[in-house]
Amino acid sequence: MRWLIFACLNVIRNRRRSLLTVMIAAIAMAAILVGSGFALFTYHSLAQKAARDDGNLIITNPHFFVKIAEHPLQYGLDHFDGLRSKLLQDNDVRAVLPRIHFSGLVSNGDKTSTFIGLGVEPDEFRVKGPFLDLLAGKVLNGKQGKDGLPEVVMAKGLARSMNVKPGDGITLLSTTTDGALNAIDFVVRGVYSTGVPALDNRQLYVNLDTAQSLLATKKISTLSVYLFDIGKTAEKLTRYQKLLPRLLVTPWWKHAFYYHSVRSLYNRIFGLLGIILVLLVFFSISNTMSMTVTERTREIGTMSAMGASRSEIIRNFVFESAFIGGVGSILGALIAALMNWGLLQLDFQMPPPPGSSQSYPLLIEFSVPLAVAVGLTLTLVCILAALNAAHRGCRMSVTDALSHV
Amino acid sequence: MLRFDHLCKSYRTGPTEVHALRGVSGSIPAGASVALCGPSGSGKTTLLNICGLLDPSYTGELYLNDRKVPTDARARTRMRRDRIGFIFQCYNLIPVMTAFENVEYPLLMLGLSKAERYKRVAEMIDGVGLAKHACLRPDQLSGGQQQRVAIARALVKQPKLVIADEPTANLDTATAHQVIDLMRDLGREVGSTFLIATHDPRMTGRCDRVCTLHDGLLAEDQDALENESTVCGPKEAVCAG
Repeated sequence: MRWLIFACLNVIRNRRRSLLTVMIAAIAMAAILVGSGFALFTYHSLAQKAARDDGNLIITNPHFFVKIAEHPLQYGLDHFDGLRSKLLQDNDVRAVLPRIHFSGLVSNGDKTSTFIGLGVEPDEFRVKGPFLDLLAGKVLNGKQGKDGLPEVVMAKGLARSMNVKPGDGITLLSTTTDGALNAIDFVVRGVYSTGVPALDNRQLYVNLDTAQSLLATKKISTLSVYLFDIGKTAEKLTRYQKLLPRLLVTPWWKHAFYYHSVRSLYNRIFGLLGIILVLLVFFSISNTMSMTVTERTREIGTMSAMGASRSEIIRNFVFESAFIGGVGSILGALIAALMNWGLLQLDFQMPPPPGSSQSYPLLIEFSVPLAVAVGLTLTLVCILAALNAAHRGCRMSVTDALSHV
Repeated sequence: MLRFDHLCKSYRTGPTEVHALRGVSGSIPAGASVALCGPSGSGKTTLLNICGLLDPSYTGELYLNDRKVPTDARARTRMRRDRIGFIFQCYNLIPVMTAFENVEYPLLMLGLSKAERYKRVAEMIDGVGLAKHACLRPDQLSGGQQQRVAIARALVKQPKLVIADEPTANLDTATAHQVIDLMRDLGREVGSTFLIATHDPRMTGRCDRVCTLHDGLLAEDQDALENESTVCGPKEAVCAG
């Protein structure tokens, strides 16, 4: 403790230089925390989005993702009600949603285009929350529309292409599970945007039972399990794999390609940024400690003359450097926390990422374990810089050190 | 107590080889105080550095308490820590430490218990008359007070040998007298041997013996107080180099 106090006093001896060095460490710490906090926020947001889009766990026929079906729903799930009830008994399960993936042609009578369809239950919109940006009309409610016609919700690009708006009629044409062609007339209930232009030009939602009628089947494509806590996904995956040995249980991250791409890209960008900042701190502290050691050469000589060992002298400089690193890290963490709070208040929006048409809020996630890890790393870097400088200083002979001016 | 035979030391400054010591021999009995005089460049500080085990690069023999001084750096450091005290011309106190802590520092390195350290430091600080200034840092003390702290620091571990390099050079006459008396009195109490490099006649007058160096050789050896045993070695001892 006594040596720590001496270290603090030595740091205060040259206030301006110490303050500058502390600020460099603090800014580096804040920059690393803000950068990595932004990356963490993005990872978590994308993970939540991936889990929200397809469910925390997706239960399918074992061949569903592997083999190419010769006709629609060849590798679908039949008689899923029993399985669904069984899964819903688990207190950690929020919802179990069946889905049908299908495709075909959409026509307004004058013009025909291809579509990618999703047959869903009305609960889909309640469970997943506001995942679609509804531009006009309403989402599906499971009921029939005007004239007893089934309803469809269309993405904005497709609706514009078909020149339809809520209340207009449209016809969907698809291949049944027997390979025949089937067509059903629909009423447009709403128009939405996914934020992804490629999907906006092709996607539509219909009620699950209507999709089954169109495809002439009782099967579904997937059964999505939504958990209350995304953190329990791995645990439930293991459990359901044992519980359902004849089915395939896939966690959300297996098909979250965008999440993995972004994570890989951000890890490289922010990793490199972090390394550069750590090097900056190393050279800055090295410079400060070199100046300090040079200024205190005579003091080093005096201590050596009195019998202090080299390691005892180096220890003093290491404590000083660790103090600078520690204070800088704490200050940097405070700056990062303040920026976190400020961004929450400002609601600053980032421009849409590539492949998207929607901006998103600029937020950073303040992670205490990350702050501790970065703080310790910076302090360690400071210690290494001090070791380097002090070691060089202590190599001077005692007589030279004592006569140093 | 301290014996040196044919000490030679030379170093290079550019193309020139400078012979700082050219075969100095002598011995100093325990408890004696010896003043080393001589003009600048005569080798006083070089001899002090060698005798204080600060400079390992010399030829010749050096004995402390009849034991040859080791060449191993760690052993020399240990020896300095245990047996040698230093008093410097510019005091060389550690700026962030109080007077008390500066005096305590050598005892910390010796690993003494807190109680023992506090007892010894309090006695020593009291002995140099700075009990009221124990909590002050060096920049809050006058030059004379700082040198008194330095004396206390050198003597607190009761060293066998005290090396003092121009201890009164930066002090006014009155303060110099105080410091000299203090060194002599406390040195006697502790039983330390003093080797003092000085130009100051006030200092040489109070030492048991005065040795004068000239061009790296022992030019003169005077018994300052009385004609007792030979303190310094033969004047004619000259290194072959």
